[in-house]
Order: sequence, then C-alpha cells, then structure tokens
Amino acid sequence: MASALRAAMLRHIRVPVQTLTLTGCNSQSRILCGSLRSMSSHGDDHLDKEEVIDRVLSVVKDFPKSILPRSVTPDVHFQKDLGLDSLDNVEIVMALEEEFKLEIPDKEADKIDSCNLAIEYIYHHPMSS
Amino acid sequence: MASGVLTPTRSEVLSLLRSLLRTAGDFSDYNIREYAKRRTIDGFRQNRHLSDPSTISAAFSEAKSQLEIAKRQAIVYNLYAPKAKSVMEIKQ
Repeated sequence: MASALRAAMLRHIRVPVQTLTLTGCNSQSRILCGSLRSMSSHGDDHLDKEEVIDRVLSVVKDFPKSILPRSVTPDVHFQKDLGLDSLDNVEIVMALEEEFKLEIPDKEADKIDSCNLAIEYIYHHPMSS
Repeated sequence: MASGVLTPTRSEVLSLLRSLLRTAGDFSDYNIREYAKRRTIDGFRQNRHLSDPSTISAAFSEAKSQLEIAKRQAIVYNLYAPKAKSVMEIKQ
C-alpha cells in the first residue's frame, strides 16, 4: 500500500512537467518548460564552469571597446588590464546579465570588475542559464 | 552662490546609468531599445569629465527626468507592441 501511495505521489509530481511540454509553443510556456526541465534533471542542473568561462570571455571580447581581444583571459581585470573605465564596467555587467539571463543587484554589480569575479558570481548564481 | 542640491556621488551616477540601461531593455521595439541604450551610453560618456558641481547636478537631474520618461513610454509602447519582430532579432 505504501508503494501504491508512493507511485501515486510520483505520478502527481511528474504530471506538470509532461503536460507543459505537450502544450502549445508560445514563448512563455517554452521558457517555463526550460526552467522546469532544468529543475527536474537529476544530474548537473547547473552550467559547467568551462561553459561559463567561454561565454563570459566571448561577451568581454565582443565588447566594442575591448582593445586587444586576444589578450582577454579569465584573469583579466577590466580597468587595469583592458583600460576600460567604470562606465564600461557597468556596460559589461549589463551585457553579462543579458547573456546569462540574470538580474544582478547594484551592490554585487559594483564589485564585479574583473573576469574572475564575473565567472565566480555567475557560476555560483542559481538562476544562470 | 550656494547650490541647494547635493552633488551626486559616483555610485549614484552609476546606479542611475544601470536603471536607464535596464529600462531601455524593457522596450519591445528593437529600434527604440537599441537607441535608448546607445543614447544613455553616449550621454554619460559625453559628460564624463564634468567638474563643476552645479553642471554635474544639472546633468544628473536631466538624466533622472529622462528615466521617468523612458519608464512611462516603455509601458505605453508595450500596450500596442506589434506582433512581428524586427529582422535584426532573428537568431542566426
């Protein structure tokens, strides 16, 4: 009887994920599907550190004022190594917010002034995607 | 001679920049969104080297009023957003 109860509970929990993937394809349900799918996966439901590093570096390289894209490594400091200023800092953090679909509060964003800090923050943020 | 307004601090200016960029991102129309982002960056960069407190305060309050306008307009524009997306937004 306990196993029947357990099976019933599992069926109840699993149903919302299945019905959402079957319903229509408007963007809202697709986003909901994506987040539910990531929450229900058993394995690594978080981004790989490698992937985070690659995406952060590509955002910094694509930044229009990046003077030497080749020299962008994970340890690069935005203002000291790339010669950017605080305005560019805010721009880069906004671009990272767009790339990873995050919303970084002002206090945290002010502290992010190197690739290292950005990678650490994004990797440890539960909502990165 | 005394300016009754306090000069904004560096962090206030940066947080105003961030609010403007975030509000700019709320527009559903590609053209207006890109223009708003471009214009805020250009405006802040233009006024980067101001040193006189009264001009700094004046620029800051102008940016604040633009932020109010942008927030209002974002809501109004999104009421009648067109269904078709701009060609620039099609992902490769």
